[in-house]
This record gives sequence, C-alpha cells and structure tokens, in this order.
Amino acid sequence: CILQCFLSLAVFGKAIHAIARISDDFWFDPVEKGLALRSVNSSRSAYACVFFSSMFFQHYCWTAVSQPCQQEKQLSLPCKLVIKSVLPVFRCANVLERNVEKCSISTNPSDHHVTFQLLCRHGVVKTYNLTFQECDPLQAVFAKHMCPNILRVHSRLLTDVMIHFPTSQEEITLSVTPMKVCFKSYTEEDTDFSRTMLTEIQLSPEEFDYFQVGVDSEVTFCLKELRGLLAFSEATSVPVSIHFDRSGRPIAFSIEDLLLEASFILATLCEAEKEAASPGPWDSKADTATSKQPQQKGNTPSMDSAKPPNASAKQEVKTIPRGTERDVPGTAGAATAKAAGGEATEAPYEKVRELPILSQNSYLYKHCIFQFHSLFFGAVSYKEKEAIGDTFQSLVTASDTEEEFGALQSSPV
Amino acid sequence: MRFRAKIVDLACLNHFSRIINTIAKLAKTCILRLTVCKLYFILSDKVANGGASMWCELSQGNFFDEFQMEGVAAEHNEIYLELVPENLSRALKTSQSAKAVKMKLTNKHCPCLRVAVELPSLSSSSRIVTHDIPVGVIPRRMWNDFREPSVPDFDVSIYLPVLKTMKSVVERMKNLSNFIVIEANLNGEMNLKIETDLVSVTTHFKDLGNPPWASEDGCQSSAQGRDLESMAEACIDIKKLQQLLAGQQVNPTKALCNIVHKRIVHFILLHEEVSLQYFIPAIA
Repeated sequence: CILQCFLSLAVFGKAIHAIARISDDFWFDPVEKGLALRSVNSSRSAYACVFFSSMFFQHYCWTAVSQPCQQEKQLSLPCKLVIKSVLPVFRCANVLERNVEKCSISTNPSDHHVTFQLLCRHGVVKTYNLTFQECDPLQAVFAKHMCPNILRVHSRLLTDVMIHFPTSQEEITLSVTPMKVCFKSYTEEDTDFSRTMLTEIQLSPEEFDYFQVGVDSEVTFCLKELRGLLAFSEATSVPVSIHFDRSGRPIAFSIEDLLLEASFILATLCEAEKEAASPGPWDSKADTATSKQPQQKGNTPSMDSAKPPNASAKQEVKTIPRGTERDVPGTAGAATAKAAGGEATEAPYEKVRELPILSQNSYLYKHCIFQFHSLFFGAVSYKEKEAIGDTFQSLVTASDTEEEFGALQSSPV
Repeated sequence: MRFRAKIVDLACLNHFSRIINTIAKLAKTCILRLTVCKLYFILSDKVANGGASMWCELSQGNFFDEFQMEGVAAEHNEIYLELVPENLSRALKTSQSAKAVKMKLTNKHCPCLRVAVELPSLSSSSRIVTHDIPVGVIPRRMWNDFREPSVPDFDVSIYLPVLKTMKSVVERMKNLSNFIVIEANLNGEMNLKIETDLVSVTTHFKDLGNPPWASEDGCQSSAQGRDLESMAEACIDIKKLQQLLAGQQVNPTKALCNIVHKRIVHFILLHEEVSLQYFIPAIA
C-alpha cells in the first residue's frame, strides 16, 4: 500500500510525538479508509490510537495485498515500527511545514520497509527507509458510550490545568461531582506529606463545552502519557472528550473530527480491595506482580509469573452493579480471585457487558483486546460499517484463540 | 501560631515571584522568618550549604494587601519556618494573571503553607489553584541560629560592575575552573581571575566606585588609611557566585561587595524595598 503527502505535516508529526510518550514502538496500520497508528505501553496501562482518514492526505492510495497463506483475507498489513527511528523524521514538527514541501510514505511489504520521503526546499530530498517487523495486530475495545461521565473541553484548558503540576508529577487524580471538577496530585496513605508538595485545581462545570456527570467519581491516571495527546490536540484545535467511570475503569481522552480521530485510553488506579485482587493487565510498574502468561509470540514483554497482591496495581474492576456508590470490595475480590485461579477466564457475560478484563491468566491478554466501538469511527466510515467489522474481525482473530473470541464478539464492533 | 496573607496587586505579585525565584536559585532549603512588619529568607552558614549564607529582607507592606500573623507567643511574635523555596517559586510561577493570591499556614497532614491562586476563567466562577507546600516549624530554642549576620570588618568595599556583564564573564569562566578570585581596591578597580594548569584568564573592571561607609563611634575600620591601589582578594567557589548572579532577574538599585582579604566576600544587593545579602567564604 502506498500513501502520499500530507495536508498537515505538523499534525502528523505531533501525533508521532504523542504516541512516542506511550511506548518505543508503534503499529503502523494502513487500511482502506486511512492510516492508523497505535501503541501500547509495556505495562499495558496505556493505549493510543490515532487514525488519519484518507481525506487527511493529499493523495492516499491503498491496495489490498492478498496473502494466500493467511487463514482469512487480510485487508491490512499490520507492522510495527520503532518510534525512535520515526521521530527524527518529524523532529521539529513546527518547522516542518515551513521547510518541507511534501512528504510521502510508502510501504514495501516484500522487503519489509516503510519509506518516508521528505521533499524539502531547495531541492533537498530526505529519504528514510525504516524496517518494520510483522506482528500481531493490536486493537482495543472501549465502550465509551457506556461511560456515565463525559466531559468535553478545548485542549487549551487542559494544558492550562496541567501546567500547574511539575513535569515530574507522575499521577494525578480527577475528581468530579455534578457541581465541580477537580484535578489534584495523587496521594496515597503512605505518602510522605512532609516532603511532597500537593497541588489542586478546581474548575467549575461551566468551563466545559459539555459536562455530564452520572456518577461521582475519583479516577487516578498517569499524567505523563496524557501530555502527548494534549500537545497533539492543540495542534489540531479539536476539543478533547473525556470518557470515564469509577476508579479502576479506564479513562479515555479522545479527539475527533472529519479528518482524524485519536484516542488515548489510560488505566486508572483501582480503589477496591487490593489484597484479594490479582494484578491485571494494567500493572503499572514492571517490578510489581505481573501476569502469568502462556507463551506469547507478540508484543508483550515476558514477565515472571507471580501472584503477590500489589497495593498499587492498576486494574479494571469487574462488573459492579450500578447504583452502589462505592465499589463493593467483596465483589471485586471475588471476581478477580476467580481469575487468579487457573486457566478459566471470567464468565462470558461479564466480558461482553463490561470491558473485558485481561486478568493474569487470560489468553486474551495476548491480543490486548479492546475493540473500539463503531461510534469512534462514525465520522469517517459510517456507511462502511460492515467492511470495518470484517477488518476488525480479521485483526482480532488469531489462530489458537478463536473459541474464546467467539464468545467475545457479541459486542458490536 | 497563625499566618494569613493576601496579594491582590499584579505588579506586587510579579515582584514577589521574582524575589522567590532568586532565593530558589541560591538555596535548596531555607528559613522563612515572619514578623509583623517583615519577611526574611535566611540561609545559615552550615557546612551543608558550602559555608555560604544568605539574608534577604523585605517589608511585607510593600507586597501584601493583607498580612496577619500571630507568633508562637506574645513576647516572641515571630514565626520561623523551614521550606524549599523552589516549591514556593513553582506555586507562584503560573500566577502571572492571577486575580489574587492567598497564603495561609495550615496543618492538615503536617504543617503546610497553603498558597491559593485565584485565576480568571471563562465562566463566572474563578479557577482556584491550591498548592500545599510542606514546611517545618523551627522551635524557639533554635531561633538564635538564624540571627542577622553582621557586616564583616572588610578591607575593601566596592560597587559591582553591571551584573549582566559580570554574569556572562563568570559563566564563561565557570567552564574553565571551579574557583575564581575576586580582588578589588579602594580605587574602583576590580579583577576577576581564574587560573588552571593550562590557562589563566583575568577580566578587569575599573571606575566602579567605592561606597562610603560611615565609621561607627569613630573607630577605625580596616578600610581606612589603606593604600588605594592595594588589592584585597578572596578565592571563592565559582558556582556560588554564578548562582547569585544568575538569580538576579532585575537590575538592583545598588549592588556592592565587601571583601575581607582571604576570608570572605560579602555581597549586598538592594532593590527598592528588598535587600539581599550573600556571604561566600574564601577557600582556604
């Protein structure tokens, strides 16, 4: 497949920079409708996806590559690039537009190359040939429409808020009630208050373009990973939507307009009973308890199997009946303890209704299954829903886990 | 022990922020002494600070619209707090367009200086940014450690050259050597010298002028009766000098230094309502 040229180099460059904050490599995934860039961090607690529709490019040419050896018709060519190799291409995203007249990207599947070619002023041509590695596709599902809390605001406001926190601040807590919104430094019981400076910013709901708080909640997430998205959305001047729920459930920061859609999904700290909970896919620190994985061929770093409880493990909480103000510790404990047991994963109905948990024994972990709801792609490809569905289908399905996936696919794609 | 203060005027706020930024460059931790009329930022000459010490004094009335304090006891109506000035600097950093800044001593989890910045927002209610800066309360028995240093019996007192020039000279010298010699005489001449195995560099300043110091009680200071051309010098840590110069964000009204030959250099920077004294001991 071949793509060519840009409408806005700076925006593309900023997207790369934003994704670079998540991980060292990213998935480069051209499909018929456009180009998707995806990334997930090593602890699986942050996922980013930026999708540029074909209209974003001056010229977008994509041809399906049929590969007879595949089980199903692969409509796309998933490949992984190392971010460090791509960043220099878009190093100074701001000056790019001034110096570069055209940028073309082309892929050559047979010799595993992605070529970025910048045609600059004065006849200078810079060509970057980057090798990619073929890999399992990456896709995530997050039922944004099921989040009770939705805020929409211009990225300027979020940047103005984040500027009050030191750049070294790792995690911040977003606390909402129908009356107010508050961002504050994250603290836990054993925080040394005599040494830590704490910052808190209170905003009124009126400052938001859209403000819906269905359930009072306090979610804690990693600020560092978010900063990339904020810089990117300032470049696009598209407002940022924030979808979230109670603590433990992921929080999604997304922007979308006619030409592009981007989503950063971050895990949030779970406040439920920590002892009974098994660390899930959102293990925030590499040194904490990690998952016991079957042998995986993909992208996840292999980790030692261990099952110690970890107070700071981020994880997605299982189905908690709505209407209760607080997460019922017992439920959370029981639900995840089940997963901690053996091979058996959670009952299928829970997976379908809520976000699938990638518990430490889940095969699903291998593919980090979160499927984006079609709502996400509505602006670009609403009519082609079926095609997208097929695409997602093929992306997600893989050889040895088809049975498990069957149960999962009941949620609309 | 109580303390509440408020700054409403933007110019005062910016000036106060600049002072805090200067202090933050000079000391990692320092003492904030509050009295009814003044604020003091104090760094005592402990070994941990490399022997350098600092005394900065400002009148609260020039900055604060409201200022109330109650010390530890009626006859000791003062408060001594230990804090990291960088934290305060950071809290004030984004208050450029603030409507008001309030400061308060609180004790939620531990003693804190709570700085609340009220920022304008698009909606009818303001945005409030609150920073809780942890502080340590210094008990009264230790207050004696933080008395105002006396002006040393100096050999030469001289006005400093334009700080911007001095700063760029010192910064370049810093790349070559860890120590710098400051020497000056009563004829308005000052030299900054570095010497290494490979190179020695001297920058000469002249016509700087020497401040007149009234002698107290008619006693002779060592500066009187001194040969005008004779240089007093001290070899000091160049980094300390560079920090002092780099921290100056506004040109002071008066800048001078007193040199005690081979013992100590005493810098005095005066800017309207603020005085900053910085002592750098000579390397033996």
